[in-house]
Amino acid sequence: MSRAASGRFRTLAMVLLVLALAWALIAMVSHEPLHAFRLLLTGALPELRWSPELGFSVRRMARFGAVIEETITLSLLGLAVLFGFRARQFSMGADGQFFLGALAAALASTWVAPLPGLSLMLAAIAAVAAGFMWGLLAGVLKARFGANEIVTTLMLNVVAIQLYRLVITLWFNDPSANMIVSPLVPDGAALTPWLARTHITAFVLSLPLAAALTWWLLNRTTTGFEIRAVGDSPAFAAQVGMPVRRAIALSMALGGAFAGLAGLHVSNALLKRLPVDLNPGIGFEGLVIALMARNDPAAVPLAALLYACLKAGAQAMERASDVPRELVLVLQACIVLLVVSERLLPTFARRGKA
Amino acid sequence: MIQRSDMPGHLAVRQLVKRYPNGVLASDGVSFDVPAGEVHAVVGENGAGKSTVMKMIYGLEAPDAGEVVLDGRPCRFKSPADAIAAGIGLVPQHLQLVSSLTVAENIVLGAEPVRGVLRRFDRQRAEALTRELARQHGLEADATAIVAELSVGQQQRVEILKALHRGARVLLLDEPTALLSPQEADELFRSLRGMVDRGLTVVLITHKLSEVREVSDRFTVMRAGRVVGGGRSRDHTQAQLAELIVGRGIETASAPRVDARGREPLVQVRGLGVVRARGRAELQGISLDIAAGEILGIAGVEGNGQNRLADVLSGLVAPSVGSVSIGGAPLTGRGVRHARELGVGCVPEDRLYSGVALGLSVAENSAAIDYHRPPASHGGVLDVGFIRQRARALMSSHEVHCRDEQVGMVTLSGGNMQKVVLGRELQAQPRFLIASQPTRGVDIGAAQGLRRSLVALRDAGAAVLLISADLDEISALADRVAVLYEGRLVAHFAGRVSPRTLGLYMTGLACEPGTRATLDAPFTRAPVEATA
Repeated sequence: MSRAASGRFRTLAMVLLVLALAWALIAMVSHEPLHAFRLLLTGALPELRWSPELGFSVRRMARFGAVIEETITLSLLGLAVLFGFRARQFSMGADGQFFLGALAAALASTWVAPLPGLSLMLAAIAAVAAGFMWGLLAGVLKARFGANEIVTTLMLNVVAIQLYRLVITLWFNDPSANMIVSPLVPDGAALTPWLARTHITAFVLSLPLAAALTWWLLNRTTTGFEIRAVGDSPAFAAQVGMPVRRAIALSMALGGAFAGLAGLHVSNALLKRLPVDLNPGIGFEGLVIALMARNDPAAVPLAALLYACLKAGAQAMERASDVPRELVLVLQACIVLLVVSERLLPTFARRGKA
Repeated sequence: MIQRSDMPGHLAVRQLVKRYPNGVLASDGVSFDVPAGEVHAVVGENGAGKSTVMKMIYGLEAPDAGEVVLDGRPCRFKSPADAIAAGIGLVPQHLQLVSSLTVAENIVLGAEPVRGVLRRFDRQRAEALTRELARQHGLEADATAIVAELSVGQQQRVEILKALHRGARVLLLDEPTALLSPQEADELFRSLRGMVDRGLTVVLITHKLSEVREVSDRFTVMRAGRVVGGGRSRDHTQAQLAELIVGRGIETASAPRVDARGREPLVQVRGLGVVRARGRAELQGISLDIAAGEILGIAGVEGNGQNRLADVLSGLVAPSVGSVSIGGAPLTGRGVRHARELGVGCVPEDRLYSGVALGLSVAENSAAIDYHRPPASHGGVLDVGFIRQRARALMSSHEVHCRDEQVGMVTLSGGNMQKVVLGRELQAQPRFLIASQPTRGVDIGAAQGLRRSLVALRDAGAAVLLISADLDEISALADRVAVLYEGRLVAHFAGRVSPRTLGLYMTGLACEPGTRATLDAPFTRAPVEATA
């Protein structure tokens, strides 16, 4: 069994372990554990119904749409984190890059004359550039001054999120709305849903495309090669003459670009207008996705889908059974814990020279 | 020979089989007998399975089949603790001492004498125990010295005493001379002989042929996980041993020498110094030349500035003072890529640390120095087809054994990894190659190939700096030899200088202050008593 295959097998085993743990926890707190567990597993999926009057009908499409939308956002954020991880940089900056990407996309969409297609393109460029620059800032701080990337990215997150709030509160809001939100993204810049009652747009293509692009960047470009070499052995990279600092800075900047794309998705496809109180923290879920996917870009969309399903299922369970919301949070934490602690399971591809 | 299997300290292994999870059959029915009071050498190339057998004897690995028999009783060791309790001690190749503690503290660590109801550590008794133990076994050791301040040879004695303190009757030594100078190795062998005379049993793992004849009573030769020969050491010549080990005759003749004195130097190093943390000088006043088509050997015990010299010459570290030029162009302080563009190649000392990237494939490792320019890449996009094809060519021309060029570097043996490293550097056709410990931990067969490549590179007109702790290698290859001791050059010889003479300078017993290894500098006259 190849190492990658055994790794995937382990991740799968982890998922099963999480579900077993979920069952145990639910059984402890619930009076209707079977019902609750069924909700956890199927809550994310649409329901196919048949009635003599209406024929086949699909219910809960909106909820399923939300799951796919979440999958897209999480997948992009997972890729954002993955870039840093591959260069052995524990960048926590996806959150801030995501906020600035969303803000830049909204600003570009609104300010530029609404030309169909073109303004969307500009919004995309703005979002990617904002994320890239914010990531580059942390990257340069690390590469040039040796500033610990965990600390700088966490601090830069605070700066980015407060900057976002400041801009929307003071200058970039819609006075006609009865809450503090940015103006509606004009039609020319917004993505139109492909599926009724959902916000599933052309962005769904980014699931395979962004993952493939990441794979290509890492495996087929000289910069990606440098990032992987630095991540594998910085001493080796320096010895063979690679620009180690540039690779470190670029790994974080490229990750930022993908986080910026996630911002574009939220701004121009999902919400169309940005509330001042957009929830921070989703960037950290990107971290979980990258860990679940074991830093393999091809596995990121799947990991994101799995995570989004579990999350939606947990919410469905919370709404329709007696299992409290806190348990759902505990479950999510357990996923992270189990995925990260690989060594809990026996290793299948142990090295010959132990 | 009388049957001595009932005497304490008789070790035997019977039909030991070990297959690792990755399918490698590291030990395939290995059996041998070590009578009490003998030194037994286990020899073989790297990857022959010596270490695996040692690990099974010491309880670090469980055999799939077969058994370890101590004093006629089959033993099942679940961990080294069981083996220690049964009277087996291991002196590992990489010494595992706590460097901030004293000798006595290290020796009793894990079995400390205590006093009082609070079971406090009894330092006096620890030191007394150490002195008693050292006296008994004729091993000199200063009980109160801090381990960090001892030489490698002294530290090794501490490891031996530690094993003896725990009641070892069978002592396993894994490549004990790898880091020692010839003089220190001689001393170790003398102590080992003394210990076996008092009834201790010693198993010595080595790949140095001379040691088999120098110190052991009997030997066992392993190849590819099997025992392929053995016998009384006295009855075999070195050449016969070598043939047993590699399974074919090996050339003992060294390369013809080049006398480059009077030629134009290609590489010029003048007054080089590196000052590092806490103002300690790592290199001081180094001046040397290397002509095109010449191998300059740098001999020295590890940690005397060799690494730093290689780092400076390869462009990795900027010197504090002094200059380095190649063909008249300044080399230092502008980074590795600049140096490589001037034609510098480098085989780094620590293969696993900086020579290869274990997580990348063989093909990727082989492209790591020129991936950034055509033909390996165009406009920032790698030409994977070219890289793979060139890697396949490298694998066949340097006899790298692995499944294909896409397997991870981590699956290769040390020798094969080093072939990839050297192949990668030679592929760039360097004008100046720095080779640090190029055959360390590499089996004899592969080492021969690697050395031939170095000589071929020299004959093609490149300057080669050979930094090696293996004095046989230095005397076999180098056209001139300089000795580095505590960051300075202390001797300069024409090639074919005897390892014993080098040993004197390497250990600081002799020193020629102000030595320069330039092409016009005189050679050091060795003390008369050392040339014997």
